[in-house]
Amino acid sequence: MGSASIRIMAGALLAAGWAGSAMAQNATEVRIVLPEQPANLEPCGTIITNVGQILSRNVVEPLTVIDAASGQPKPSLATEWKQTDPNTWTLKLREGVKFQDGAPFNAEAVKFSIERMTGGKLTCSNIAKFGDAKLTVKAIDDLTVEIKSDKPQPILPTLLSVVMIVSPNTPVDKAVNDPVGTGPFKLSSFTPQTVVIDAFDGYWGKKPAITKASYVWRPESSIRAAMVETGEADLTPSIAAQDASNPETDFAYLNSETTAIRIDAGFAPLDDVRIRKALNLAIDWEGLGQLFGADAKRASQMSVPGINGHDDKLEPWPYDAEKARALIAEAKAAGVPVDTEIELIGRNGIYPNGAEAMEAMMAMWQDVGLNVKLTMLDVNDWLRFLQKPFPEGRGPNLLQMMHDNNKGDAAFTIPIFYTSNGSYSTVSDPALDKQVAEAMASTGEARTANFKAIFDKVRNDVVTDIPMFHMIGYTRVGKRLDWKPDITTNSEIPLANIGLKN
Amino acid sequence: MMLGYIGRRAYHSILSVIGLLTLVFFLTRLTGDPSALYLPLDSSVEAREAFARLNGLDQPLYVQFFQYLRDLLSFDFGESLRQHRSAIDVALEAFPQTLKLAVVAMTLSILLAILVGALAAARPGSLFDRIAGLVSLAGASTPDFWIAIVGILVFAVGLGLLPTSGTGSILHWIMPVFVLMLRPFGLLVQVVRGTMISALASPYIKTAHAKGMKRRKIIFGHALRNSLLPVVTVAGDLTTGLINGAVVVETIFGWPGIGKLMIDSIIQRDFAVVQSTILVTAIAIFIVNIAIDLLYVGLDPRIRY
Repeated sequence: MGSASIRIMAGALLAAGWAGSAMAQNATEVRIVLPEQPANLEPCGTIITNVGQILSRNVVEPLTVIDAASGQPKPSLATEWKQTDPNTWTLKLREGVKFQDGAPFNAEAVKFSIERMTGGKLTCSNIAKFGDAKLTVKAIDDLTVEIKSDKPQPILPTLLSVVMIVSPNTPVDKAVNDPVGTGPFKLSSFTPQTVVIDAFDGYWGKKPAITKASYVWRPESSIRAAMVETGEADLTPSIAAQDASNPETDFAYLNSETTAIRIDAGFAPLDDVRIRKALNLAIDWEGLGQLFGADAKRASQMSVPGINGHDDKLEPWPYDAEKARALIAEAKAAGVPVDTEIELIGRNGIYPNGAEAMEAMMAMWQDVGLNVKLTMLDVNDWLRFLQKPFPEGRGPNLLQMMHDNNKGDAAFTIPIFYTSNGSYSTVSDPALDKQVAEAMASTGEARTANFKAIFDKVRNDVVTDIPMFHMIGYTRVGKRLDWKPDITTNSEIPLANIGLKN
Repeated sequence: MMLGYIGRRAYHSILSVIGLLTLVFFLTRLTGDPSALYLPLDSSVEAREAFARLNGLDQPLYVQFFQYLRDLLSFDFGESLRQHRSAIDVALEAFPQTLKLAVVAMTLSILLAILVGALAAARPGSLFDRIAGLVSLAGASTPDFWIAIVGILVFAVGLGLLPTSGTGSILHWIMPVFVLMLRPFGLLVQVVRGTMISALASPYIKTAHAKGMKRRKIIFGHALRNSLLPVVTVAGDLTTGLINGAVVVETIFGWPGIGKLMIDSIIQRDFAVVQSTILVTAIAIFIVNIAIDLLYVGLDPRIRY
């Protein structure tokens, strides 16, 4: 083969390659690279990160959306709502909205979507946010719907932010991979390599600047970061801290996750509040923080700032090893068996450096005189300790966990952790149960104040957890885009909010 | 005669596949309850029970197994828990992606290794032989994930010559194929060189020299053919490894192949997909093994089945 032929072949190869790359560079088209392939595109699974980041508020829309700054529900497909009695809400629906398949959006469509979600004929992750509440939906007129619950639901409008409204033509008895909603984009294709969505011409709201988005997935954080750097992609969420090296394109943001250790207060010596306080005081938080990145924020409670009920004034536990030793000595003098072995249960892969954090904490507790032993478990075994019924025969234990509340209200945190029948709770205190019940039934400022009081009580008196850090996410945003991530980025990336520079 | 052999091998292969699928069925169930992974952590006990009921996981294991066998007889391989579609479709969609990559990488590795190995063996101890030895050892022993990431940093991020990952254009093939070729190339160069050195020392080669035959014809026409049997054995083994999935390459380069699918399905306890991917790869490996056996016959007339 002559050198001329080789040159021609090389030229053709490069031309073919660049033609492929150039396709992604159309001015109003964007390419987003996610860490994981969405397993499916069922709108009832939008609380799953990689499903929500594609579908939520792009293809399908909820009745309400949560304001990232205030945590309060705002209108989406519902324009206003009113609580007519503790168990009943009436919602007015937006006029002139059509589904991407041409079906009209109305009260019947809302009834259909909620009944599809609660019908039990398909696996619906989103329903978990409603707990065991039973909902009954009634179409009052074409654009008014009444939702009744079997128990008081003071924050139903907040909960409705996870109910994605789907076309009445959607099958009710099986999960779908071709969702049809009312969002500004309609699904064009879903293959093992990519999901493509195109602007929906019949969208009721303002037309987004972006006309087409394709989603690809790469598990390696460094590859995703490189893809945005080279212009192969325009945006990637959840890159590792070490890959967030370019201040021009990489944004750190407080995501909605809080890391903590849950103390099982049912067993000695953990049934003594002095030991539980000592566990909090014995940690060198500044040192431990190095494992969580410079931007992680020390936590004093299990909900992040911005969530209704979060108390900004509540101080995190300081590091005071001497005081921890004194509390342990005091408990020992009072007959508490402080030498009993305490099992620290970690979960493999729970968050970056999670195992290292557990080893460090174990060493710090041993240093103040507690007999702590670390066991790392895989998710399935770990779950047995997280959720009730807890395993029989367990002893005193501390459980590594991470709690995610991006739904605007401490109602998604407090009952599960601090009431007698809360599924993660190790507390059984009738007075606290009553206080939580009152807070859950209250509204407005009283609700905020009640939740703050509970967080204060848990921090200072109950002490059944060791809040560690409010976690930070890093997102790389290409130079073409005008957008910054926020607390909701882990659950949705609404393309309509993304501007294009130039 | 040959057809009879293939028939016997196919019959034994079917028995092996049935045994393998039975084993896989029970082993996958040992990994735990899928509801722990498919439902949110805060799902109620009722929701978990409903999930198990919907997916037939509430039945005793032996009932699930007989149901699985019954479905297999009607070519129903079950539905993916993750993807909500036919598990065999998911596997068959991914397999050609791996197969294409494996075929290209193995073909190039074998051809290049034969050329380099034969030339190195022709002059043992020469500079070429030493460089070939160094390169092949490095290729066989360097971790592929490291080469892949360095390759991306240099050729995609630094020089901007190649795309970082993905599929679509010819350029997307270069790095995955190169990374995948390294180990087979390194190993095969060593095998070809070793067997060629023995072959070139044989009396019939000396006779060929004495007859005044051209050196190129002696090396590639006589010595090489007789050296190929061990090369075919090793290459066949390496090919079956690649067909099973090039997990690292598929993961780093975002190549939607069966290796990554298999690992994801195991981690996610997507039982029907695990079973389907194993079925597909097992059949492919049996076919490759039969092809290798037939190749032996072509290369060595003394072999008869």
